[in-house]
Amino acid sequence: MVLLASALDPAGPAARDIDDLWRLLLWFGSAVMVLVAVLLVVALRRGHRRALAEPDATETGPDDPQGTGVRPWLAGGGVALPAVGVVVVLVATIFAMRATADAAPDDALVVDVTGHQWWWEVEYPDTGVVTANEVHVPAGEPVTLVLRSSDVIHSFWVPELAGKLDALPDHANRLVIEADEPGAYDGACAEFCGLQHANMAITVVAHEPADFEAWLAEQAQPAVEPSSAAAEEGLELVRAADCARCHTVRGTDADGERGPDLTHLASRRRIAGGALRLDADSLTRWLRDPHEVKEGTSMPDPELSDAEVEALVAYLEGLR
Amino acid sequence: MSDQRTGTGAGDGTAPGPAASTAGGHEELDALWDDPPGLWGRLRAVQNDKVGTRLVLTGFFFLLLGGTVDSFVMRLQLARPEQDIVSPQLYNEMFTNHGSVTMFLVILPIFEGFAILLLPTMLGSREMPFPRLGAFSYWTFLFGGLLYYSATLFQLVPDAGWFAYTPLSLNEFSPDLALDFWVLGLGVAEVGAIAAAVEIIIGILKMRAPGMTLTRMPLYAWAMLVTAFMILFAFTPLIVGSLLLELERGFHMPFFDPDRGGSSLLWQHLFWIFGHPEVYIQFLPATGVVSMVLPVMVRRRIAGYTWMVAALVAIGFLSFGLWAHHMFTVGLPGVVLAFFAAASMVIAIPAGVQIFSWLATIWNGRVRWNTAFLFVVGFLVIFVAGGITGVMVAAVPFDQQAHDSYFVVAHLHYVLIGGVAFPMFAGVHYWFPKFTGRLMDERLGRLSFWLLFLGVNVTFFPMHIVGLLGMPRRVYTYPEEYGWGVYNLISSLGLLLIIPGLGLFVLNLAWSLRRGEEAGNDPWGADTLEWATTSPPAQHGWTVPPIVHSRHPLWDQDDLHRGEPQVERLVHALAEWPLRWRAALVIGTGDARPVEIFRVSGPSIWPLATALGVVGIFASELLKLRWGIVASAVVVVVCALAWNRPDPPPMTRDEELDFERTHGVPVRAYGSLVVPRWGMGLAILFASIFFGSLLLGYFYLRLENPVWPPEGVVEPSLLVAGISTLLVVAGAGSVYGGLRAIREDDTGGLLRGLLAGTAAAAVGGAILVVDLLGLDFGSTDHSYGAIFHTLASASLVVVLFACIMACSTAVYAAKGHYHAYRLSPVDNVSRFWIAAAVLWVLSIGTLYLSPYLT
Repeated sequence: MVLLASALDPAGPAARDIDDLWRLLLWFGSAVMVLVAVLLVVALRRGHRRALAEPDATETGPDDPQGTGVRPWLAGGGVALPAVGVVVVLVATIFAMRATADAAPDDALVVDVTGHQWWWEVEYPDTGVVTANEVHVPAGEPVTLVLRSSDVIHSFWVPELAGKLDALPDHANRLVIEADEPGAYDGACAEFCGLQHANMAITVVAHEPADFEAWLAEQAQPAVEPSSAAAEEGLELVRAADCARCHTVRGTDADGERGPDLTHLASRRRIAGGALRLDADSLTRWLRDPHEVKEGTSMPDPELSDAEVEALVAYLEGLR
Repeated sequence: MSDQRTGTGAGDGTAPGPAASTAGGHEELDALWDDPPGLWGRLRAVQNDKVGTRLVLTGFFFLLLGGTVDSFVMRLQLARPEQDIVSPQLYNEMFTNHGSVTMFLVILPIFEGFAILLLPTMLGSREMPFPRLGAFSYWTFLFGGLLYYSATLFQLVPDAGWFAYTPLSLNEFSPDLALDFWVLGLGVAEVGAIAAAVEIIIGILKMRAPGMTLTRMPLYAWAMLVTAFMILFAFTPLIVGSLLLELERGFHMPFFDPDRGGSSLLWQHLFWIFGHPEVYIQFLPATGVVSMVLPVMVRRRIAGYTWMVAALVAIGFLSFGLWAHHMFTVGLPGVVLAFFAAASMVIAIPAGVQIFSWLATIWNGRVRWNTAFLFVVGFLVIFVAGGITGVMVAAVPFDQQAHDSYFVVAHLHYVLIGGVAFPMFAGVHYWFPKFTGRLMDERLGRLSFWLLFLGVNVTFFPMHIVGLLGMPRRVYTYPEEYGWGVYNLISSLGLLLIIPGLGLFVLNLAWSLRRGEEAGNDPWGADTLEWATTSPPAQHGWTVPPIVHSRHPLWDQDDLHRGEPQVERLVHALAEWPLRWRAALVIGTGDARPVEIFRVSGPSIWPLATALGVVGIFASELLKLRWGIVASAVVVVVCALAWNRPDPPPMTRDEELDFERTHGVPVRAYGSLVVPRWGMGLAILFASIFFGSLLLGYFYLRLENPVWPPEGVVEPSLLVAGISTLLVVAGAGSVYGGLRAIREDDTGGLLRGLLAGTAAAAVGGAILVVDLLGLDFGSTDHSYGAIFHTLASASLVVVLFACIMACSTAVYAAKGHYHAYRLSPVDNVSRFWIAAAVLWVLSIGTLYLSPYLT
């Protein structure tokens, strides 16, 4: 099945606790639905038969204000059944809340995740690594995500790992996630945040702990030097064109802060908040006209010639 | 389902019930209560059938204009992944419009309008208590809707969702006027919703047939009573929230901007304190309809009437305790989450009582299969499913997955279509014959039911699954690789059932209106009073008001006009001289004994003029014409005064006393003593909720800001607060003194009390204004200043209203209008003054004292 991002297919302890609760809710809810449906059918059949037996009856039964004759219906089905249901569901809810609220240990990895219109900035405060739209974590370990927003309210939701939590402009929220196995877990912004809310994807990539350390060390490095003449020209364009006003490429003098950090752009899976897969064609399309890909994006039209775009793509593709 | 044997309705299996007497000047009364003819007459119309029908039709018109087309286009866009049939901007505008229109401009006016249309006939009275307020409610609703929709003409369509969360809805992220159209247009409509609610509450509590005690009231009336109170308590915080949002957008006063001491979540609290009760505001009238239709269609009294009333009241209360379940993902503390989860789930108990009461009624009944009943059965199935998913999303951890996903879209459409739209369809099929004289066609009706029932399930069921697969709400497109395409395709195909279903329903209405089978008075053999009148009912509803001895008068009573001799003479007197004017009966709230007869106000242009003034205030703000706001406010005050100008009484004092001696019930031809008192009580309740919401905002902001007042702001002057408060309180005392004087028939004392009170309060207000102007902080730098100026200004406005009322009362007092036996307006003015003084003490006290309490 192509269930890439599914709450029905948990891949971590928090999502699994919720999935257990969901299964209980589903079975319990289905049972109630079936019970009510059966009662409805039985009652309708009885009412129908009574109508056939006495089609002209005008007697409408005694007035029964306190409902004594139907008390089993009202007290049993109307009060007791939902009351029992509520108690069961509430107890299960509170247990699941306690399970999912467990804080990560003090030495757990902390990652700052900041929502922007319409992309995610991901920062590892201990190492100064900054990336975008991907949160890399070691598998099998709890990780604390500190969620914030730089503008409007966003919501961080990777259904296979955990429930969602909002990223607010005036409070930091903490979400603990843990992936059982290495792999990529897709998610999205879940709070409507403006024009391109639909293109604000997030991916959690879990590595074996050793691989994660290697990844982090690699990301901490400055950008690689351009390896070809075209790439060399691309780097010049980053400096000369307006790219550097908004983007950082560590190791060069590009240190803008509005847009995603490009130091290791080519190591990422997607660009433009998930709208495009990262490859040469996508980068070309994006640099020719970002608004054609993602109407309303903050990235201005760079107004480059075809040759310039080609050079820039050559440089960016090398930023592993 | 054998129609031949069990019948479809039309008179089968039921002996003809008692009919209403039309003896004694039926035609004359009909003309007396009708609206004047012609265009000018239509603009002045206040008659409840007309106002109610207008509200219903306008709500339906807004639905066709926005609610339906949008949903079709959205489903087209989402049918396949990565389509670009519409732009993201247009998509966002469409779901914003879809939610806003259905929540504010469709369901509410349809139910309020239907209540205004139906209640007087059903309760055995002649009119609603404030026909002009009903007309005002209609005009404000219409103008508000048009103002909101006019955004389309300027290409400034709101696009921040029907919830307009801050900061997305603030200037920084929504810089053009689109959001102002949203706030201001819907704001006008909200005023109309509250006005209609006041009308409905008093109509139900004070204007019923003699003998119809609270425990004999039809469940529909109970449902509307609870609903109308909920509207008052829920829409008022929304109006406060909208006011704050517009003050921030239009006047740069920071309530929600985190950079200037505001809170991004304050809006969510104010919005959902309205927003969750709003769901039950829509649902309760629907259950009221089901509780009327179902017992008649199964020819059996409702099982457990008392239980049902208790369930309605319980839902009304509980619905205010669970707003934060829309905020389970904003990062609230665990204890708060658990509380709101429990409160949200507990509401399953009263809902369960309702469901099982209906099941038991069917169980003991004799089913008549017809379209109205089919829609009731469809309601039971779909609503129970929606209720179960409702309990699921109350489970906090599960909601953290389901929230803002398509699971919630599925849940809310099951609840609102199953729980609200299906009962509406049932109600239309049931009451259509009463108001048109013709039955709706059964074949078309059944076909439309099955198409809608299947269509709704095909469309919305797959959304549960695709939501759990991770599809968020409000996305204009989605990538193919997520595997959501097939579910979305099924959902979109469901529309191929829903569209013809709705089309057949509309066709059925149009066809039946002209060619439907003649219905007669009571085609269903129903139990409630409206079925004893002609179809459609006369303008005055009842020539001789009925006397009620049973919860089901048409089933249990042989004669609708028999009762205690005194009461019997009284109801007959209502059809005769000397009551040949718009006379209506007021009853005791609980015991339903007649307490007075009063003259219901007649057609007037002033409700329309006042509504134009109100819309002028909002439209001026939209155009940033600040002088226009002031000018429109003056128009509102002048029109409201003209609206309430007393007419010369049609009876002399001696005739009144004579009537009271004969019948034992006072006649108040100049105006009721009881009804305006209730009106003023509800107005004061509205003001109190308004100030309560503002104070909630004040303390919320204070808790969010550790430094309060902000650095460098000097604490406000206690001396100013003390002196101005003393003057306002003294003013209220003086006006109360005037009331005591007129009780002794001392007009001079009344005049002195009113004028001295006005003078004192005016000086007190002026002192506060001078102090506000001289404060060392403005309203735009920090939320402290913003809320300070807002609360102080609100207090000043209330005192200004009190002064205007006192002056207008003084003018009539000088003309000798008031006597010991005729002082209702004075009584009300005095009440308003006391309320104004209390609100002043609370808000000015909070503003000036609270900075010292650190």
